[in-house]
Amino acid sequence: MNEQPVMVFKDVVKVYPLPSGDVTALGGVSFQVDRGEFISVMGPSGSGKSTLLNLMGCLDTPTSGDIYISGTRTVDMSDKELTEVRRDRIGFIFQYFNLFPLLNIIENVTFPMMLKSKKEVDPEKGRAALRSVQLDDSLFTHTPTEISGGQQQRVAIARALINDPDILLLDEPTGNLDSKTGAGIMELMSELNRKGTTIIMVTHDPNIAKYSRRTIHIADGMIVE
Amino acid sequence: MIFWEIAKRNIKIHMLRSSLAMLGIVIGVVAIASMGILGNSLVLTVSDSLRTVGDSVIVTPHVGGMGGFGGGQGASSLSITEQNFQQIKRVSAPNIAIPVLQNADRMKLGVGGDDIVAPIYGLNPDDVPNLLTLKEGGYSRGDSGCLVGSTFANDNNVKVGSRIAIGTDGNKGTLRVTGIIEERGMAFDVSTDYAIVVTKNWFDQAYNRNDYDKVIVKVKNLDDLPIVKTAIENQMNKRDKIVDVVDTRKTMETLFQAFGQITAFVSAIGGISMLVAGVSILNIMMMSVTERIKEIGIMRSIGAQRKEVMSMFLYEALILGVVGSVIGGAMSLLGGYVISSVLIQTTKYLFVPSSLIYIVYGMSFGIVISLICGIYPAWRAAQLNPIDALRHE
Repeated sequence: MNEQPVMVFKDVVKVYPLPSGDVTALGGVSFQVDRGEFISVMGPSGSGKSTLLNLMGCLDTPTSGDIYISGTRTVDMSDKELTEVRRDRIGFIFQYFNLFPLLNIIENVTFPMMLKSKKEVDPEKGRAALRSVQLDDSLFTHTPTEISGGQQQRVAIARALINDPDILLLDEPTGNLDSKTGAGIMELMSELNRKGTTIIMVTHDPNIAKYSRRTIHIADGMIVE
Repeated sequence: MIFWEIAKRNIKIHMLRSSLAMLGIVIGVVAIASMGILGNSLVLTVSDSLRTVGDSVIVTPHVGGMGGFGGGQGASSLSITEQNFQQIKRVSAPNIAIPVLQNADRMKLGVGGDDIVAPIYGLNPDDVPNLLTLKEGGYSRGDSGCLVGSTFANDNNVKVGSRIAIGTDGNKGTLRVTGIIEERGMAFDVSTDYAIVVTKNWFDQAYNRNDYDKVIVKVKNLDDLPIVKTAIENQMNKRDKIVDVVDTRKTMETLFQAFGQITAFVSAIGGISMLVAGVSILNIMMMSVTERIKEIGIMRSIGAQRKEVMSMFLYEALILGVVGSVIGGAMSLLGGYVISSVLIQTTKYLFVPSSLIYIVYGMSFGIVISLICGIYPAWRAAQLNPIDALRHE
């Protein structure tokens, strides 16, 4: 298959300058993510998982090395350009769902669409996205605090998918759910992946990592595969 | 837009503190607008009572001059001679120069009436229509007639046809009232509201005068006021300063400028309360930003630009400012009504544009202060690092 990789890391180094001395969070990481992959990133606390996630999500820039998202080099991008990449090409799913409490479910889901289009959007697309994550129609006008954790995570998934991103980034997606609900969420992620969605998931839970098809192990800022 | 909606909802869910912030703005707007309305009403009240013509040059003998008017000609009294009046008339032409005599004397109204003291003006009958407007009766033709001011007429129950005995026990003669002068207020030229106006001839005979107390030059083209003033000064004060020449329009302008400054000063004091309200908005906005750091982090991580985050907080400040200012504007009308009623006993100056503009000023200031005080918190929110904001608990 000749398709362009969704994400490429080349010798990525991330050093945090601290008063007590520089801390190297990533010490030259290289890997590639092809379209349609489902990858887990695993490693102990302090191994560099969060730093890697921030760099993959264009929330941070590396000290050296190159990062490409769908062929676009991102390391020299301005804050505005990085924000556009996050909005258009990346879908984030967080451990604590991170929905907006002031908005109802439909508004939460269509929020990234509104950021992109800069105008009011058709809520029907939001409803379709919510149905695709098997959320009941009766919940659409509720606020996040009125639904369960599992339902909130489904809303977060629908929100992440709404702008048809190239890649979904999951940060401990089941960390705040019971095992049964977590399994349901992971089944949903597998289903999305089978339909072609590229997923990278940071987790410390081997049972969750089993849902992925490839695992990147990281320790002391290096990939140890 | 979704950020506008979020701003509105955030204000709603924190209704108490939002209301307190708006209350500050309301108080600020009311303070500025009410003080402005009061000041303007005072100006209008004074300007109504000073309804003097702004089209005159008043010439009076120089006060403080050596030897009085007519220095060098042996005159020692503070008055204007016929010769000097003719000079003034000549340099003022084609404008009308009106010589005025004035005195005050006792007078008795009707048989058995009380003695009162009132000002008496002596004018040439031909000049009277150029200077005074009657509300009742007609101008005096003969020396036995007189005009009376409207307040004088009201207070003393004087009507057209009434008789007034002038002087102690009427020793100066009795005059018949031929007309009542329309109210003029306190004027720079002649204040006739509580006075009587007689003919120059009668005045000369009664008080043995052959000179004048002042000359009023009515200027046809207002732009010529300073030219006429200068011409008179140059003619009359060539060697010694013997006359004082006042341009009434300039005097009124100076007076109203001073009133305007007083109004501005009083409004500025009201403005201090607005600054305090602004600090309250700043405080509440900073609280709002601090409480929503994580929310800001989520927004930024899923693609909200800095300026969009900033706009959300500015909308919030704008809503607080606009709602507070609108309520304040409405309450200012009420406040202005109460203050005007109590302090100047009239509300007729409340609904005039020059008063209402202070409500607009107050409201605009309220909105601008709210926005200015919202800028820093909004900017801080926009500058938050998304990673740090996401980690915030």
